[in-house]
Parts: sequence; structure tokens; C-alpha cells
Amino acid sequence: MTVETLLVLDLLAGVVATAGWLGAGATAAAHRSLVALPLAALALAATLARCALTIPLAGAGWWFVQEKLSLTLPLALIGALTGAVLAVPRLLAATRRRTAASADASGGSGAPGGPGDAAEAPGLTDSRAPARVVVPLFGAGYAAAAGPVVSLLIGYPMTPGAALITVALTAAAILATWRMVAGRLPLARVTVATAVAVGLAGTGLAFVPADAIDTGGGPASAHSSGATMPEMSPSAISGAPSHAMPGMPSGTVTSASSHTAPDQPVTAFRGPSTPEPGGTIRRYALTARTATVRLASGRQVEAWTFNGTVPGPPITATQGDLVEVKLHNADIASGVTLHWHGYDVPAGEDGVPGLTQEAVMPGQEFTYRFRALQAGTYWYHTHEVSDLGVRMGLYGTLVVSPRPASGGTPAETTGTGTGETSGTRARNAVDLTLPAHTFAGTTALGDQDRPFTRQVAPGSPVRLRLVNTDNTPRGFALSGAAFRVASIDGRDLNRPGELNRTRLRLPAGGRYDLVFPMPPGQAVLLVDDRPALTLTPGGPAPAAPAEKTAAWPEFDPLSYGGPAPTPFGADDRFDRRFTMVLDRGLAFSNGSPMYAHTVNGRAFPSIPTQLVRKGDLVHMTVVNRGRDTHPWHLHGHTVLVLSRDGREPSGSPLWMDTFDVQPGQVWEVAFRADNPGIWMNHCHNLSHADMGMALHLDYDGVTTPFHGAHGG
Amino acid sequence: MRRVYAVLAGLLLLAVIAQFYFAAVGAFDKPQEDGSFSLHSLTGMMVIPVLSLLATIAAAVAKAPGRLIGMTILPLGLVIVQVLIIVLGDALNDSADNTTTGSLVILGLHALNGLAIMGVSGMVFRQARLLAASTTPAPGTAARVA
Repeated sequence: MTVETLLVLDLLAGVVATAGWLGAGATAAAHRSLVALPLAALALAATLARCALTIPLAGAGWWFVQEKLSLTLPLALIGALTGAVLAVPRLLAATRRRTAASADASGGSGAPGGPGDAAEAPGLTDSRAPARVVVPLFGAGYAAAAGPVVSLLIGYPMTPGAALITVALTAAAILATWRMVAGRLPLARVTVATAVAVGLAGTGLAFVPADAIDTGGGPASAHSSGATMPEMSPSAISGAPSHAMPGMPSGTVTSASSHTAPDQPVTAFRGPSTPEPGGTIRRYALTARTATVRLASGRQVEAWTFNGTVPGPPITATQGDLVEVKLHNADIASGVTLHWHGYDVPAGEDGVPGLTQEAVMPGQEFTYRFRALQAGTYWYHTHEVSDLGVRMGLYGTLVVSPRPASGGTPAETTGTGTGETSGTRARNAVDLTLPAHTFAGTTALGDQDRPFTRQVAPGSPVRLRLVNTDNTPRGFALSGAAFRVASIDGRDLNRPGELNRTRLRLPAGGRYDLVFPMPPGQAVLLVDDRPALTLTPGGPAPAAPAEKTAAWPEFDPLSYGGPAPTPFGADDRFDRRFTMVLDRGLAFSNGSPMYAHTVNGRAFPSIPTQLVRKGDLVHMTVVNRGRDTHPWHLHGHTVLVLSRDGREPSGSPLWMDTFDVQPGQVWEVAFRADNPGIWMNHCHNLSHADMGMALHLDYDGVTTPFHGAHGG
Repeated sequence: MRRVYAVLAGLLLLAVIAQFYFAAVGAFDKPQEDGSFSLHSLTGMMVIPVLSLLATIAAAVAKAPGRLIGMTILPLGLVIVQVLIIVLGDALNDSADNTTTGSLVILGLHALNGLAIMGVSGMVFRQARLLAASTTPAPGTAARVA
């Protein structure tokens, strides 16, 4: 059973136990011990099932069971034990008496013994008896309810404050029930006062602010101001005066200690203005503006665009070129920036408003410059109100071709929808960049929102660059041709093997490059099991019947290709280790309480900032305790996958910028901190980032002159 | 206190009615995304549970019959069942998080359980009003007077 299934079953067992105990209590109160008994038995069985489920869950990791083992399971067991010891024998006695009485009645006069009449009265007419039966049953129900309620509303980690509040609420419910059933409370003042005191203590603890910085076990900041972000102030909770004033320079105080370098603003880390020797300058001008876009089917879409098209103009370069993009905002009222997704640009070019630059407001502009040092498939998108902005169309592709061995012609681009980069390797090579994007329920490739066809000569080398610009994974499949996944997230794989009839689950924000020689017949690319692109060797041919690709086995990048040495690995000594447990829970996000997407129980901006120093080798564990997939994306760095659910990659080393942490999964990744700056570290389901699932990773000594509160 | 209880029960019923409205808002919102149901999930995860809890406390203080107190907390319990239906349904989705026949069979129960919450809330409101309107003092009060 997967961890996800175990978590769901645990919730189910918790609800069944709660319903069983409460139902037993209610039926016992109504003098129906015959119904109450099996309900209590069901609840008992469900409680034992929870215990059994916890064992394999604990094996998957402490994060999955922390709140169960430390609070809700003991609570449920105490409740169940009390219910079983105090209530069940009395219920049994009442049932026996009742059976005996009805036997007497039928054996004696022969008169029809009415069911549910006063027969069981002797057991429960004793004035104290109802309380002794009903209160333990209800109490067991309240104690059992804590399990699913805490798992759903609080999750990981269960703090002492939350534990005390849970205990106090359970106690309060039991006392209230007792008073109702028995009419009075024994030691009323003492018990009520204790419950209130426990609740107040828990509430007090819950409001203790967390540390603003997570050093990951490494040394703390050597700078007097550290990398403390102004928005990390717990003022929203503690009532301390906020110093997160927009535009107020923060952390500009130079360290008193002589051996540390002075603080540097993130704006000091900008790209060079010249290409590498032999490269050229690639100049682009992008104007962000609202427009009505006509998709290939003729359908009109109200969009936010770069240069009036969706996707925006494809940006291409050859390794060593300087990419220079002048961004102008015509009329996007909320502002716009350019973030180079997966491209490890200098921090000042990263395009995160409030962190590396101010959002570019209507009428303003900003010029980005960076050297195209990594070849591969990437994309760009706005990072200001990015969930809405990207969905509305503020994105495009960035493709960098490897530098030709000698004197090759630079790649050219044609078309605005799906970028076509004429190959530098073979004259007849076909190189298609296919950004998938969902417009109001229809997934398009580029601007092609209905199946389209390309003619390709048999034998021609084909490269399909798949980009997922959506918030959720897209399933790709190629029928009619065997293929290789040449690269993932722009980084080439080592010795990729041939694949056939395999489904590719592309994470949100991720990229796969498929390469294959054009077969003699048709090859069809399907997106979520619907044909999208047909490659045909000759003139108009009858479309091949679509294959059912949903049942094809799924491609697993962790067991694909051949192993190769990596600059560091799981056995290295790491300077810092960070753990992020992803879940949902009630939390404050951007000042308002919500059912947020949380990291370690907190939502942006209350998640501690991760602190690193340049040169650190950093280990990151990402755990998904929740029920949603979280495509994890760290800006400015490419991470090496060390393991998923404890299993190391058996094939090619995997360097990724966006990895899908599915429910119940545990990913361990590592990176070298070699790109100083202040970086977003967030879920690339941008609506999740919007609802709290975002934090910052700061290099010690780097500060931002901006307000610093960007969460998505 | 009985009047407070009746008012809270009325608010609870109104919240449940609004919840159906928000469900339709989410269902018809385009493009469909997580935020489409933000009003629905806010009402479901916070407003209805809190009102159900407050109404139950008011019912207990007003010395309503135990059965009615139990029915007043029932919407909260059924809300947890609502969440569970989503969780169970999502667990049956395929690897790309798309729904399957199995998951839709479970997810459809979300509407039926919603009707149950509406029915219980309506019943609670009616009985709370009857309780508030009744001129005879509650049994507890009578006992204390005696």
C-alpha cells in the first residue's frame, strides 16, 4: 500500500471510530443497547485499525505519524479503553437483562413483548447509570475525532500549543456532555478550571512566533543584520511593531566583525553586458499588454500577452550568447516581471518582484541581461501575481542550442505559436518547442488548441521540446514511434534508452525533450490521452486511430538511462540540511486566516527563511503529507536528485529545477550554493504558492532594497 | 439563550444555503482552478463548523433536549465526511490526477452528503425556533425553580 493510501485509510478509520462511538453514545442514551453494542464494537475495531495503519506509516517517515504517535492515537486509545471498560460491560448487562426479560415475557403470558420497552430499564434507571454509560461513549467519540480533525486542520508538526488546545477541547466536550447527562459535574470548578487553564496555555504557546531563520544545522548569519527578511517579522501574530515598510532599506548595516564581507544588495548581482567570446547579443523587446488572442481553432481568448501573442515570442540563443530582453509594460495593471524558469541567472535578473526588482508597472520598463551558458529547453513567465498572470498568458519559451563545433549557423526561429528551431546538426532536422497551456479547459500546444499536423520526411531527426506551463501535471504520450527522453529540465540525460508505448507525466513547470528518427508512418503526440500533434511523412493521410494511452506504463526518470559520476552525492558531508513537510492546514497567509497550503505547518510569509553561505553543499528533504501534488521549484539552482522514497536513482543522474512531490512521497535533493542572492523556493502549482506554499532561501550577507514580501 | 440558539441555528442554515450557492459559483467558474472554490472551502472549513459549534454550545446552555444538541453538532461531523469524500475520491484518481470512474462515483456523494447537511440544519432550525417559541420553561429551569 502506498503512503497516500495509508493516510487516506487512517482518516477513514478515524471518522468511522468517531461515528461509532458517538452513535453508540446516542443510542445508549436512547436505551437501545442492542444497537449501541455493535456500534461500540465497530468503533473499537476502527481504533485498532488506526494503530495497525500507523506502523507502516511510521516506516515511511516520522513526518507522517508525528501528530498520531504523540497525541491523537494515545488520546483515541485512552478514550476507547475508557469506553470499553466503563460502558461496554454495562451495555452487555443491559442487553442480557433485556433478552432474559423478553424470554420471560414470551415464556410466561405469551403476550407479545414489545421491543425496546421498559425491559432494559433495570440497567439504566439507576440515576447514575446513564452518565456512566453515555459519557464514556461520547468521550471516546470526542477523543477519536481529534485524529482526523488534527490531521486535516493542523498536520505537521503538531506543536505543544496545538496539542494542549486539542486536549482542552476534548475535555470541554466531555465535561459539557457529563453536565447534560448527569445534570451536575463532580468537582465542577476544579475540572472546568483545569480544562480552561490547559486551553489558555495551549493558545498562548500557539502564538509564540517561530524563528525567522532556518540555518539547516549550519552556522548562523555572520552579519549583524543577517539575511533576515523584513517580512519575516512575526508582527502579524505577536503584535510587535512591523518594520516591513515597502521601500524601506533593510539589512544594510555592515557587520561589525572585520573578517566578513559587507552586506550586498541583491541588485548588485546582475548579468554581464557582453557575450562570451564568439557569442552574439540576442536582443528582444517584450511588451506586456492585454489582448484578445485568436487560437488556431478560431477561438478568441481574453489574454495577458507579451507582444500580443500567447505564448510570448520564443526566445532562442546559442550557448555563449548574451540574451538581452527589454521588458515594457503597456497595460497590465498588476505589474509584470520576467522570471527565467530553470535558468540559473544572476539573482538580480531573476525577476521576482519585491525581492530582486520592483514589479514593472504600466509605462515602466526593465532590461534583463544574462549569458546563455546552459543549453536546453527552458521557459520564462511573469512572477507578479504569477498564478493569474501565467494562466492569462504571460509566458514563453527559452531554448538555448549547444554551441556548434565549428562555424555553424545560429539557430533561427519562425512562427509565434510553437517555436521551430532549425537544427544545427542535420539539414532536415525538425525541432519543435511545444509549450502546453490550458485555456479554459482546453490544453493547447503553443497556440494550437486543436489537433494539428506537421509534415516530416521519414528518417529525419525529430526533437520535441515539451514544456508544461500549467499548474498541474500533463500526461504526454507518443504513439507510432519509439523515442528517447534526451533531456529533462534542459539537462541532458546519460545514455537514455529507447522507449515505446510509455506515458510521460510532465510536472508543472517541467520540460522533457523527446528525440527520435521520423518513422515511415505517422507519429502522434497525445496530451492527456487526446491527439494533439500528428507528424506525417507525406501528404494528407487518413489520421491513424487514436490509441488508448491512459493505460500505458508511466515513465520513471529515476530508473532511466545509465549512471554517471556526479560532483557530489548522498554520501557527502552536507553543510546544511533543510526539511520541508508539505501539507494543508489552518494558517495565516499574507495576514488572513485560511485553509492554506503549508510548509512545516506554516504559510508564507511565516515560513522561516532558509539561510546558506556561498559554497555550502545543501541537502533538502521534501515530504508531501498532503493530498495534492506539489511541483517543487527552487530558483537560481539546479538540484541533483539523491532519492525518492529512500530509493536512489538507478539510471542517469537527474538534475532538475522542478520535481513533482506526489502525495506520500519523500524526495531528497542536493545542490551547491554557488549563485549568491535571495531566492524563491516554492510550489510551482502557482495557486498553492498563492495560498502560502512559498518561502525564501537567502545567502548570508545578501539583502534586498525592496519590500521583500513576495510570495507568488 | 433559547433565542440566541435559534438565531445561531438560523445563521447555520443560511451558511449551508450559501454553501450550495458557492458550490455552483465554483463549478461554473472559468478557467477552472483551485481558487474557483475558495469561497466554498472557506465556508465549509470555517464558517459552518464554527456556527455548528457555537449553536451546539448555545443549545447546551439553553438546556435543549440531548437529541437536539446532538443534531446541532451533526453538520460539523458531516462536514468532516464531506472532506473525507474528496480525499477518498482523489485517492482513486489516476497518476496524472485525472478523475476515474471509481473516483467520480465517490466524489458524487459530496452532493448527497451536502443535502444531508442541509436537511439536518433545516430540522435543527425548526426545532430551535419551536424551543424559543415555547412558553413552558425548560425542564432544567423548572427543576431549579422547584
